[in-house]
Amino acid sequence: MMDLRVAGPLEQFEIVPIVPLHFGSFDISFTNSSLWMVIGTGAIILFFAMATRRASLIPGRLQGMAEVMYEFIADLVRDTIGSDGRKFFPYVFTLFLWILIANLFGLLPTFPGARHELHTFTTTSHLIVTLALAMLTILIVIVYGFMKNGLKFFKLFVPSGVPVWLLPLIAVIEIVSFLSRPISLSVRLFANMFAGHIILKLFAGFIISLFGAGGAFALLGIFPFLGTIAVTMLEFLVAALQAYVFAVLTCIYLSDAAHAADH
Amino acid sequence: MLMGSDAGKDKASREEPPSLDEFSDRLDRMRGAPEDPEGPHKGPSAMGRAMRLSTELLAGLFVGCLIGLGLDKWLNTSPLFLLLGIGVGFAAGVLNVARVMKE
Repeated sequence: MMDLRVAGPLEQFEIVPIVPLHFGSFDISFTNSSLWMVIGTGAIILFFAMATRRASLIPGRLQGMAEVMYEFIADLVRDTIGSDGRKFFPYVFTLFLWILIANLFGLLPTFPGARHELHTFTTTSHLIVTLALAMLTILIVIVYGFMKNGLKFFKLFVPSGVPVWLLPLIAVIEIVSFLSRPISLSVRLFANMFAGHIILKLFAGFIISLFGAGGAFALLGIFPFLGTIAVTMLEFLVAALQAYVFAVLTCIYLSDAAHAADH
Repeated sequence: MLMGSDAGKDKASREEPPSLDEFSDRLDRMRGAPEDPEGPHKGPSAMGRAMRLSTELLAGLFVGCLIGLGLDKWLNTSPLFLLLGIGVGFAAGVLNVARVMKE
């Protein structure tokens, strides 16, 4: 008899160690999350190695794709940060590609009957991963801000044209607003991926349940099936859009750091 | 000739291959034509905008509360700084939202 048990919608986010490792009291096991990070990074390196292998003036298909992505981010960096932005291009480009591939690979179907360790896993559906990326961005903003502007970086927290008696309050609010950036940046990406995958799993689960019920119910299974198709298409859009939003906001924050003294 | 019949039609009559400058001009012209002034990624969806604004507001509030709780724990002044933190955090959240709206 077929096993009709429907897995819980949260099971897909479970971290499963593949190679257990311990460093002191830290658990640094190589997990399914690590595996998909390696797969994603490897795929990006492989793609660009193949795309630039036979670089020519008139690009082939692969080189064309690589150039479109390059120009997309290069334009974004130039438009947002300005002439100082060139040195941040590698960072923003890497960040964009990594998040994009992590989001898209999370939508790959799992090979039927694969062991749990090898199930498709969306690394960006874990808050700690997106938070680490956002913290890295904010760290670069702070370090570069002080390097470029020195103590004038604090001007970022003191908007011009504010009466003196209001300054302490405004400065505190500005600092809290600055500190909330990595939170909103990471929560947005995480929440989008997390919620999308739960909806996907729930809709797909309904199909199995309705087929399991048999008879007239099996016919009703067509509706969640259509829903799953629609949500899958939406998820492709969300995957690309969230990677883009993350890159845009990174550029805006870097631009703040670059121009803090001009305010 | 091995060249495709319609791909090379305009060039086939020429003696020498077109120069790179001319090619770049043509490329610019073709790129310039179909692009609408708004651009494909200028208008975010209403849902995306709502998500963005709500996370901005909540992130400010969250950081304000966190700082308040931390100060309270450190200075044993509970709940003074938590209340202040909620106020400041809410103000920071509103500031975040105002900034997003201005973009």
